[in-house]
Formats: sequence, structure tokens, C-alpha cells
Amino acid sequence: MSVHAFDDQLSELLPRLRRFALWLTRDLSSADDLVQSTMERALSTRAARRDDGDLRAWLFRILYRQFLDARRRAQRYAWLLGRLREDDEPQWPSAEREVLAQSALAAFEHLTPEQRSLLLWVTVEGLSYQQVADILEVPIGTVMSRLSRARQAMRRHGEGEQPTPSLRLLR
Amino acid sequence: MNTPPSEHDIHAYVDGRLEGTQREAVERYLARLPERAAEVQGWLRDAQRLRAAIGGTQGLSDNGALHPGVVRARRRQRRIARLSLAAAVVLCLGLGGVGGWQVRGMRSDIAVAPMADAMAAYRLVALDHAARPDVVPQRAGDMQAWLDAHFEHAARLPDLSGAGFHAVGGRLFATDQGPAAMVLYEDAAGHAISFYVRPPGPRNHLLPTGQRSDGGLVAQYWSGQGYNYAMVSRDDGVDRQVAAQARQRSI
Repeated sequence: MSVHAFDDQLSELLPRLRRFALWLTRDLSSADDLVQSTMERALSTRAARRDDGDLRAWLFRILYRQFLDARRRAQRYAWLLGRLREDDEPQWPSAEREVLAQSALAAFEHLTPEQRSLLLWVTVEGLSYQQVADILEVPIGTVMSRLSRARQAMRRHGEGEQPTPSLRLLR
Repeated sequence: MNTPPSEHDIHAYVDGRLEGTQREAVERYLARLPERAAEVQGWLRDAQRLRAAIGGTQGLSDNGALHPGVVRARRRQRRIARLSLAAAVVLCLGLGGVGGWQVRGMRSDIAVAPMADAMAAYRLVALDHAARPDVVPQRAGDMQAWLDAHFEHAARLPDLSGAGFHAVGGRLFATDQGPAAMVLYEDAAGHAISFYVRPPGPRNHLLPTGQRSDGGLVAQYWSGQGYNYAMVSRDDGVDRQVAAQARQRSI
């Protein structure tokens, strides 16, 4: 693949990466920092990458790893913990906030970053279960049980506005 | 026939990745268990709504700094900067062998860009989060009192509250000429601007008013009352302007 073709592919995936990063960090400037370091990494390790893999899954994996690293680092420095806004009011750009207000995405917002990632990859991005297992470095069975938990949590948080009966009692 | 479908098959059904007999098997199973069916229907609806709400590419305003070409250029620039710094050091070591003491001053002029320490401090605390502040203000005036305790007659701390930035912490750094201080400001979006004050550089060198960009950051510097100062921020848009206005008021 030529350098230009590779850059074009990266540019094309940029909006998806930013969207994913935004749902992870819930803060536009942290999200773009994350995307920027992902791009740097992608450009510097491209040679080492096998060409047969899916570029999108590979980028998601880099981005997700960087997010985990950053969070681990931040947790070591307690005063900065607030910066990650895990429990804080999220800082959405206004367009996103409107979407949130309009739709049942409020439920999605209550999930953990891991659960949000999982549902985004599977439902929105359409990654295969195997690709998700590779990103998370867990067996595919673990992906399945985590997916169940994420979907149940999504149900639970969305219940208030749902006419369908609750099934929590079953479990 | 009566074995319930696996978790994998249920999810694959929800995600539309099941065909033919496998799909029918899941449907038959759900038909027998209306409660389970209602739950799976709920999952299906959630998935559809999620796709509808965030599936399209949304109006995030473009961020030029993220484009591959720009990232590539920045990497190249950094490499060149590192190489030329290395070349300067090699050259100076060579000259040093010949020219001795006199060249020493020259080397520090070549190798040390103005306010490199202010930018390094900003990176350390605001970007890498690798250092924590020595003090976190509890009340208005705390930061100024802390600064006054270390720097007599230094310029007043800039007030950035008009632009939504507030002091969140201060930290002392060591320089070859004595202690330097950084006060970090942040706004609600988490953008950071720092105010940096340090003793004059080697040979009592006070800086003219100027600015320098490096690696996405900009240091806008000046001097006065016997110290050098810098406002460090991201090198784009509003942050840079806020920093520029603060400097304007301080000069």
C-alpha cells in the first residue's frame, strides 16, 4: 500500500475514531488528544503491521489501549482523576448533547466505557465478535458474556421510557 | 431440538448475523419463551436505536491537527529538530575541544530555545499528567500568596476568569538559575493554560517579548521586574488568544 493510499484510508476513518474516542472520554479535547496519539502510533508502527488485518479494528485497538493506559496513569495521580470525568458531568459538544437529549442514548451514557466500546464496535461499527475478542485480548466466550451484561445494563437504564415489561426478575 | 441456543447465537440473532436454520432455531426457541423473547426484542430495539442515533457521521467540526499528513509533518519536524540539536551538540563538543571555555556560552544559546522549560513544564503537568502540583488553591488569593512567597515583586498572576479559565494548581521547578514556578489554569472543557515565571537565563539574560511554537504548543513570553515570564497554551484558536491577552495586560 502506498503512503498516500494509507493516509487516505486513515483520513476516511478519522470521523469514526473521533466518535469512538468521544464516547470513551466524553470530552472533546481529551478525545482528540487520544485520536492524535493514535494517529501518531499508527503512522510510526505501520511497517510492523501485517497487511491482512482490518485497518479499522487495528485502529480501534490502538485507541482503546491508549485510553486504558492514560486512565491507568491518571489513576496513579489522584488529583488528576477528576480530569477523566468518570463520574463527572460529561463535556459534550453541543450537537452531541442535542442528540442525547432527544433520544434514549441517555441509557447508553450510563454504561461503563468498556460497555460503550463493546456496543459501539458490535452494533454501530459491525466488527465481528472475533475482532472484538482480539481488541480486548479475551476469548470469544468472554466477549459474549460481556455483551450480554452490556445489553442488560442498556435495558435497565432505558427502562423508564420503555413500554415493554421488565425481565430483570427472571435472572 | 430442545437445546436452547447458545449466548453466541442469541447475540448473532440480535446483530442480524444468523442465517437459515440457525436463525429459525433461535426463533422457535424464543416463541416458546415469551419473556425471553421480550428481552431479546428489547436488545434488538436498543441496537437499532443506537445505530440510528450515532450511526451517521455527526457534525464534529474538523480538527486539522488530526489529519495524517499533518501528523506525519509534525513527526518529521520533531525528528529534524532532534537531529539538529544532536548536530549542534556534536559541533559544540568538537569546538569545545578546540576553543575551550568561550564556546560554552554559545552552545547554551544554540541548544536552549527560549522558554523550553516552560513548555516542558506544561507538558509534564497538563498533558502527560506525570507531575502533580505542589499546591491546589482553596480560596481566591491562595495562588497569588503562594507565588509571592517564592518570587518577590514578580508580576501579578493574570486573571483569566473572563475567558472561563481558573487556577487549578501551582508547582515549582528547578532551573539552572534557581527555582521557577508554574500556575496551571483550566476551563470547563479541560483546556489548560499555564503562567510560568523564572529567573533570567544564563548571563542574566532577560527575554524580549516574543513567542515560539513547538509540538502543538505555543509559549508567549516577555520579561519584567527582573524575571522572565511565559504563557503556554495549545497553539490553536481561543486558548492562544486568551494567553496573548493575558500577556498584553501583564506587560
